Amino acid sequence: MTNLQESTEQAERKPARFVPGQPDMWVFVLFESLLFTGYFSVYLIGRIQNRDLYLHAQADLDLRFGIFNTIALLLSSWAIARCVQASREGAYRDALRDAFLTIGFGVAFLVSKVIEWTKEIRLGNTFTSNEFFQHFFFLTSIHLLHLLIGFIVMGVAVYQLWSPARRSQQLVETCATYWHTVDFLWVLIFALLYVVR
Amino acid sequence: MSSPLSRLAWNFRHNPKRELWFAWWMMDIFYQLYDVLFFFVTRVQPPASPAWSTPMVLQWFDTRHYGILAGFGVVFLISGLCAPMNALLAYSMRRMSVSRVFGYSYLIMYSLSAIPGMLVMAIAMTVGALRPDRNPEMIHWLFDFAFLSFSGTMGVFMIGSLVWLVAILIDKNGVFPKWFGYLGLCNALTEVVVAPAWIFQRGVFAWNGAIAWWINMVVFVTYTVCFIVLLRKMIEREDFGDGVLPDLPPKVERSQPDSVGAMR
Repeated sequence: MTNLQESTEQAERKPARFVPGQPDMWVFVLFESLLFTGYFSVYLIGRIQNRDLYLHAQADLDLRFGIFNTIALLLSSWAIARCVQASREGAYRDALRDAFLTIGFGVAFLVSKVIEWTKEIRLGNTFTSNEFFQHFFFLTSIHLLHLLIGFIVMGVAVYQLWSPARRSQQLVETCATYWHTVDFLWVLIFALLYVVR
Repeated sequence: MSSPLSRLAWNFRHNPKRELWFAWWMMDIFYQLYDVLFFFVTRVQPPASPAWSTPMVLQWFDTRHYGILAGFGVVFLISGLCAPMNALLAYSMRRMSVSRVFGYSYLIMYSLSAIPGMLVMAIAMTVGALRPDRNPEMIHWLFDFAFLSFSGTMGVFMIGSLVWLVAILIDKNGVFPKWFGYLGLCNALTEVVVAPAWIFQRGVFAWNGAIAWWINMVVFVTYTVCFIVLLRKMIEREDFGDGVLPDLPPKVERSQPDSVGAMR
């Protein structure tokens, strides 16, 4: 009897298992992770086969852009996490402010990325220059496309937070999950393109 | 006890979902035949390299001569199976709580995609294989034309996936799970990746490349298998109403004799 009581109390204390937002979005996260694993594998195989070319081309990248972009997206992830937290607590004005902050950091990333591309193209490093820059422009472009979709997703989050008639916590968390995926993918791209030598 | 044949005959006359099942089976048969014909009979897929010289292209056609002629003969014979398949895809969107514009635009786009993606490619390949003594440069031209035509469907599939994605996300009838909508986004993004095939003749972004073809194909096959299974579930759940699509009853209850389920 005591054991039964103890196990019931333990079960009550244990938080219910759930994933933030729609579980469906986590299927997207899983699938995108697998897809980018494929892209990264192709990049790494190319790199192993032509190490000197990749190292030589990689030297043209400006690490400062990579670091700035990483910080911008990490800050955006921090802002969206605060947005979710505020929304859970019913502080919708704060949540909206954090959602706009997330978009702001995303825009900073976008502007910085366009400046970096322009700089590389002026140096003569284009999509067709060599294998490394094929991968560089491909990975950064496909990631930027995810970021642009992220702005639409953040629009959905703002729309939900704006009116008391809506405010679906699940949708806000689903949007946050998407945004974190964009950040997560960038961290991997940054490590592979800028850091790994 | 009725025989499977008499059950089939009963379903053929009385099953209210017979047209939907017909369309689903046609879709199933179409994709099975498409795979066999393109990969094993004609062997035009996986694609050959765009970097090949004219003698290599001639050799490629030579080893596939009868396969291309016979295989594409069958492709032209079955190409009409696209119609019930596309109709079922559009039907799924008509069953949703969304505007009819979604279903109509999807129907038109996917019907058009069969022209460059299947028929034009098949004609170009057949013309290339038909007369081996033709001008080699002309055969090489047909080779390029065929593979570019096949890759040219990328935009249609991209927009088609996005149309379906939006329809699923705003649908309130629960016709498809939301995860399939998000999978549509993955599929749409991999279609974008085919675009560099217009620039590169070798490497991972060429029309036979690891990124532009192989990874893209894995995603597309996964997406296709998912929607075939989900369309089957949709037909099973269909109640011919216009509200929320009911869930299937638990399996224990489904084991009871059921006239609609008899066909399954």
